[in-house]
Amino acid sequence: MSSQPLPMTALDATTQVSLQAISVSKSFVSGHVQSTVLHDLTLNMCASELTLISGPSGCGKSTLLAILSGLQGADQGKVIALGQDLSLLNLRALERFRLLHTGFVFQGFNLFPALNALEQVELPLSYLGLSKTEARRRATESLEEVGLGPRMRLRPSELSGGEKQRVAIARALAKRPELLFADEPTSALDAANGQIIIDILHRIARTHGTTVLCVSHDPRLVGHADRVLSMEDGRILSDHRPTSLPTGSGYGTEEPSA
Amino acid sequence: MVALARKTLVYEWRRFLPAVLAVGFAGLLQLLQAALVLGIFGSASVYITGSSADLWTGYPGTQSVNLGRPISSGVEMRLRMDPEVTRVEPFQWVDADWRGPSDTGGVSVFVSGIDPQPDGMMFSLALPAALRARLNEPDAVIVDVADLNSLGVAVGDTAAINGHRVRVVGVSRGLRALGGVNVVASLATARRLDTDPANVDRTTYFVAKVRNPDLAGAIAERLRGASDFGSYDVWTAKDFARRSKMYWMFDTGAGAGVLFLAGIVFLVGAVITSQTLVAAVIGSIREYATLNALGVGVGALRKVVMEQAFWVGALGLICSAVIGGLLLILGHSYSVPVALSPATTIACLSLVMALAVVSGLAAMRSLRRADPASLLR
Repeated sequence: MSSQPLPMTALDATTQVSLQAISVSKSFVSGHVQSTVLHDLTLNMCASELTLISGPSGCGKSTLLAILSGLQGADQGKVIALGQDLSLLNLRALERFRLLHTGFVFQGFNLFPALNALEQVELPLSYLGLSKTEARRRATESLEEVGLGPRMRLRPSELSGGEKQRVAIARALAKRPELLFADEPTSALDAANGQIIIDILHRIARTHGTTVLCVSHDPRLVGHADRVLSMEDGRILSDHRPTSLPTGSGYGTEEPSA
Repeated sequence: MVALARKTLVYEWRRFLPAVLAVGFAGLLQLLQAALVLGIFGSASVYITGSSADLWTGYPGTQSVNLGRPISSGVEMRLRMDPEVTRVEPFQWVDADWRGPSDTGGVSVFVSGIDPQPDGMMFSLALPAALRARLNEPDAVIVDVADLNSLGVAVGDTAAINGHRVRVVGVSRGLRALGGVNVVASLATARRLDTDPANVDRTTYFVAKVRNPDLAGAIAERLRGASDFGSYDVWTAKDFARRSKMYWMFDTGAGAGVLFLAGIVFLVGAVITSQTLVAAVIGSIREYATLNALGVGVGALRKVVMEQAFWVGALGLICSAVIGGLLLILGHSYSVPVALSPATTIACLSLVMALAVVSGLAAMRSLRRADPASLLR
């Protein structure tokens, strides 16, 4: 069942399970009312794939993301990420695991106003123990990968929403994570920028062999995912793989051949 | 390493300005308060610190130089008998009442009767030789230039002390006293002004110089034991100056007041500074939470906050040191009694840095809200 985070090609990647939820349940108590958000969920996610979890708000998809990424613990069941049972790790070890293996992209871009794009990306790298030059090299590379090479000296106030989200992606990407989690990455953006973002995430999965898990209620993203899980009321209703990218998106054709 | 703390401080300087000002003002207040207190109470011992004597001999148990009682003139002989003592000089203290030529009412003055010889020990640091020489003139007195107004005289004017006519022959600096006005006269003049018949043939203090000032403590110790010439006590100049300062500091309650005020300043400064730092942390809480999601540990985030606190403290310190320095120079030029030793300065500035650190620790607590799971909404 466990998988090794090895470099993979797109072809054999579909067989590599990198992230698993096994009988995960989660409920919240508010006052005297206990509401179950996740009902005994089991699912496997594969490397080199962009998995999209979609569903209406309140269906539990963000909670699922929090649990799968180790930001929150499950009430029951367990999460195995890269062969590691996350419930066995303490807070310090979880932080270490996230530092080494996971990247995050949030709905709000959460960039430090004082830092330029390059520094935003370098910041987490410096905690990885990379040398200054290596951190700079990786940060530059990531920013170029998301198409921000020429704008890496600008601060968030000088960047558009789409560009800010690309900085946030570069920040997550520069760590070279095996797991990349994105929570509603496009909902603060217009359609065009949303397309760019989902395309970048998809490309990352293909070219880096990263397991990309994206949570969104945005139906426009469905066509860009390798796999779509529809959630409602804490359960997965459907699990399907769109056979082909929708026509007219304009971005599917740019997909690199990994 | 990206200098997040410093870059944020520079970029969002408006946000941090209140904290820097709070630290700066706290530092300034502590410094000026200390300088004023040390200056004011330092003038309680100006007789000692302004003179070059190594030993002071006076009435046993005297707590402050202004509380001296006359001792037998025979004590002078006892001092001279010690082989280490090279010079002995009497110092007469007279509490007196001053009536000036202009309408200033009565002013309580302390008349210091000193040996006006050019190499006299008393006030050797406050009075240049030429000025001292003028005291040889009968009924001549010297006052501090800053006291001329309260005495209602100018140089050359005559006034009355205890009903005796005196003439102001000069002014000096650094003679200001606590609780009254210092008037310097020759021993002969001072004795004439002393109206108490009990004080005839008695002197308030004998000051002495010793061959090796490093041994002053031991010499004072061995002179102190004898009681052949009535009761007296011997102190080193340093001890006696300290005694006098402490007496004033605690007798007047000023010491407690200073500590109280220092506490208040510290508290107010810490509240403002920590609130500002908390606001800065909360303002970036989502970014901190994102860093934590990316695996940057809480410890590292705390370090960022502490670094901000440190820089706020350092900037505040520079402000208070510069402004404080300027104000002290200004104070000096207006004869305001201010004095600051390096040790006190360091103590004040450390207190202010401690304020910044405490505020940083308080602000660090708000990092608890940097929960990455809260970003998934």
